[in-house]
Amino acid sequence: MLRFVLKRLLSLVATLAVASVVIFIAIEVVPGDPASYMLGLNAEPDTVQALRDELGLNASKITRYFQWVGGMVHGDFGTSYTYRTPVSAMIADRIGISLPLALYALLLSTVIAFPAGIIAATRRGSVADVSIMGATQLGVAIPNFWFAMLLVLFFSIQLRWFSAGGFPGWDEGFFAGVKALTLPAVALALPQASILARVMRSSLLDTLGEDFIRTARAKGLTTRQTLWRHALRNALIPVLTIIGLQFSFLLAGAIIIENVFFLPGLGRLIFQAISQRDLIVVESVVMLLVFAVVLVTFLVDVAYAVADPRLRAQR
Amino acid sequence: MTLLTVENLRLSIYDKPVLHDIDFQVSAGQTLGIIGESGSGKSLSALSIMQLLPHGSQVAGSIVFDGEDLLNKTEAQMCDIRGDDIGMVFQEPMTALNPVQTIGQQVAETVIVHQRVSRHESMQIAAQTLEHVELPNDEFPLSRYPHELSGGQRQRVVIAMAIALKPRLLIADEPTTALDVTTQAQVLDLLKRLTHEHNMGLILISHDLGVVADIADHMVIMRHGKVVDSGLTDAIFKELKHPYTQKLYEASGHVPQRVAVSSQAEILLKVDSVSRDYTLPRTGLFSAAKKFRAVNAVSFVIHRGENVGLVGESGCGKSTLARAILGLEKVQAGSISIDGEQVLADMQMPSSLRRKVQVVFQDPYGSFNPRHKVKRLVAEPFHLLENKPGAREYERTIAEVLESVGLASSDGDKYIHEFSGGQRQRIAIARALVIKPKLIVLDEPVSALDVSIRAQILDLLAALSDRYQLSYLFISHDLTVVRSVTDRVLVMKNGNIVEQGDTETVFSDPQHTYTKNLLSSVPVLPGEHH
Amino acid sequence: MESGIFRRNLVIGAVLALIFLLAAIVSFFWTPYDVTQLDIANKLKKPGSQYWFGTDHFGRDIFSMIMVGARTSIAVAIVAVGIGLTVGVPLGLAAAAWRHSLLDELIMRSNDLVFAFPALLIAIMITAVFGPGAVNAIIAIGIFNIPVFARLTRGAALSLWTRDFILAARTAGKNAFRISVEHILPNIVNLLIVQGTIQFSLGILAEAGLSYVGLGAQPPIPSWGRMLAESQTMISFAPHLALFPGFAIVLTVLGLNLFGDGLRDYFDPRLRQQSR
Repeated sequence: MLRFVLKRLLSLVATLAVASVVIFIAIEVVPGDPASYMLGLNAEPDTVQALRDELGLNASKITRYFQWVGGMVHGDFGTSYTYRTPVSAMIADRIGISLPLALYALLLSTVIAFPAGIIAATRRGSVADVSIMGATQLGVAIPNFWFAMLLVLFFSIQLRWFSAGGFPGWDEGFFAGVKALTLPAVALALPQASILARVMRSSLLDTLGEDFIRTARAKGLTTRQTLWRHALRNALIPVLTIIGLQFSFLLAGAIIIENVFFLPGLGRLIFQAISQRDLIVVESVVMLLVFAVVLVTFLVDVAYAVADPRLRAQR
Repeated sequence: MTLLTVENLRLSIYDKPVLHDIDFQVSAGQTLGIIGESGSGKSLSALSIMQLLPHGSQVAGSIVFDGEDLLNKTEAQMCDIRGDDIGMVFQEPMTALNPVQTIGQQVAETVIVHQRVSRHESMQIAAQTLEHVELPNDEFPLSRYPHELSGGQRQRVVIAMAIALKPRLLIADEPTTALDVTTQAQVLDLLKRLTHEHNMGLILISHDLGVVADIADHMVIMRHGKVVDSGLTDAIFKELKHPYTQKLYEASGHVPQRVAVSSQAEILLKVDSVSRDYTLPRTGLFSAAKKFRAVNAVSFVIHRGENVGLVGESGCGKSTLARAILGLEKVQAGSISIDGEQVLADMQMPSSLRRKVQVVFQDPYGSFNPRHKVKRLVAEPFHLLENKPGAREYERTIAEVLESVGLASSDGDKYIHEFSGGQRQRIAIARALVIKPKLIVLDEPVSALDVSIRAQILDLLAALSDRYQLSYLFISHDLTVVRSVTDRVLVMKNGNIVEQGDTETVFSDPQHTYTKNLLSSVPVLPGEHH
Repeated sequence: MESGIFRRNLVIGAVLALIFLLAAIVSFFWTPYDVTQLDIANKLKKPGSQYWFGTDHFGRDIFSMIMVGARTSIAVAIVAVGIGLTVGVPLGLAAAAWRHSLLDELIMRSNDLVFAFPALLIAIMITAVFGPGAVNAIIAIGIFNIPVFARLTRGAALSLWTRDFILAARTAGKNAFRISVEHILPNIVNLLIVQGTIQFSLGILAEAGLSYVGLGAQPPIPSWGRMLAESQTMISFAPHLALFPGFAIVLTVLGLNLFGDGLRDYFDPRLRQQSR
């Protein structure tokens, strides 16, 4: 087990290292000099040169790569070209919205999908199954940002239950924050819940067809006992993979959804940075998101090994 | 005392009748054998007793167990009966256990669902039961997972689950079909012992007459969902009164007619101290890769026209050896000569040699690309020829070879799914024959077939060997078949050939302990005199 | 009995998808109104007999814009699937043919790497470097499709490689390349068609998302995602601006998904055997 975790950890570090190189090279390709961009068209060459020195742009590319990576390891993401403030502070402000939003959505998606998938699988062909499958078919087809707009139209503009956007800040209290994130989270969660429910259903149906389910029934277990004691844990193994994948979709989706609700999260930050050509911010936020995705993949792998003893032994 | 009486049992699935008026009885302490080929309805009869039938099933008739008709029981009542009064063991031990639970948990579960006992007590019962099925706790602790056990050991766990509460009836559906012959003998002994000790009724379902004959007191023979013959086992074999019984019996011990091969014939294949190593996956990041020797310095010859058997249990290296002879994998030591031409270790086998050897596999369903026509499937080995046949020659050769295996030349335009298992095996033989090889490696060629079809394929193989002076390397775990079709036999164990010689000599007077053990495990039909 | 549902899925899905494909094709020759022509006098008209789906704040006909927008969506998604197939499938076949080799390891590790970048992040990086545009959206979605097809192909091919008919082809002296083309590929085509349909619908969703945040097709090319973005500030008084493009996306994606499901069930030999 320990060896397995170590091995996955090693591959996590390797993926991150290669990803950082890819991101660095991609951003380096960009034509133009951030220093002259920051100072405007009329800047004196001396001033530009001084700023280049200050930003460390005159060092060799390799040195700069290691400075960037080394800085990130210590939580230093460099200085924003536009605002001249540390990027880490900007990110720290924004991540307090994006991360809770993604996690909230993941929670909602799981809470909706599990029962739906289980009911659909255990009552295969019933009215419940057909309606759940129909609903998920629709849920998968709805773009989350459009669904978000419909939610705003209905719950904010018509019913006035929620505000149409903005975020009061966590200082206003936990519930105020959660309330502001509820519509965005629902919008994010619904399509993912649909996918998850479908995976849950088919995985459970596959498992229910396995020989060991018949063995369990021959021992005298009722269908319900068979489901809870034998089918679910085995069916969960492929579902875990999907949950891991979904986290990266949710993070990416959060970036888009923040636009609908005017939430000051990482999404707003990155789009602002793109339009202002604040590349160091783009670079750092992308790296951070990649880190989050890779970390979740790692956690899923470990969860896999916990759920399945065969994996533990194998590697 | 009669334990179970099945009367006029009829079953239809989605209105399609599959069982017709089945009658049989089982008494306490007695064993009933149910025999049938695939599709005979033997497994569905068993599942009817357990009331674990597939969706859309409708049952009629009566299944009286211990004075009460099981067909009148509610599902909740059946749950109380299953596992407590009636236990069941299935064919495939590799998949019959939950992979994410320990064997202790799974055996204990039988106790937990039926009795009010603590977790600790249930585990104790599990431990005792596992001991009872000869899985000693110090060697096989309760915390083992199924994937850590072999097939035979897993089947013992399944049996332990079924007998943990000492049921009065045990149903075993092909319990040994997936197991090696020596393991099969042990599991059958175990079942015999348990029936005796617990005065338990046993229903043993099998396609193999030999397995049932040895252990059953009564027998039922089924075909197409009907009982065609039944009675005391001895009487059934003595009288052979029903033609189907007779046919099954004859097919089981079928010996194809062949012209004897002179032992002075020239040597076709010479395998000289061949070894085959596999690199095992690295266990740790920095540990060196380990090697596993699957075939160890094996030497033997096959003469022209000779049929040589290669027997051994799963994992003994017989398939690896076959792949080396086919030129699919390089060998690490020794040499292989075919028709005087030699391939040394670490050399790729040239196509001039490969075209002299062809192969027939076990599984008639997996051996063909489902997207190609039979014609194209059979023609595949043409790839090995230097001068590929022209269009007319191609058509003529395919038609000829299809006819030589008993198919019509028009079958070449069909797809493989239009053929039965036996026909597919004929197509596989046609594919092997099409470039007129000197040697055909037959890898369990009849193991997946029903006995009656098996006999036809064996006859075909014998005839072809005579007609074309073909040599066979006949690989099988089925010693009865090997005895009936081969001239000489090689016995393989752990990568070594432990004994070789004339088939009759080896079978009647085995020298090596392993051969003796193997032969004594083979179920024998009454009236067979070997 | 169940096979009726599959057939129905297939037909409904095909009809929905075809409607939008047709709309896209027809838009090259004819639309009810010219979408490049501004007509401020008729701005923000409600849906009615003159403007079926109403007009936007520049007085452009929404129906016409949806027809032209279908082009963008379909083109982006098709090319992106094409990229995924042409790059991913050969990689997957090669990885399976030489499994556990350095090549396999390399292909699978680079797959993992690409998987760490959701399509949106790839698009963000490309846009940060080259500026926004439809081509960048295609590349971003296309790159994301590569590992999807590579993994699917490798997995399916690996299980085929263990089958006896592959061993038979090897005894016939055929090499890994030839076996991949002759035996593996024909047996995974169905799978690829089904996954292709799914990726096609995902591509339409992704394109809509990218152009919604301004990373996709740029004005004046109409696209469903940008129509939605522009409608957002007017949603309280002109909800039709947000509704119709949204319906277009949902129906296209729904159609493709139903079609894909129907195809999968149609191809699935287990289901076909049942109906036999």
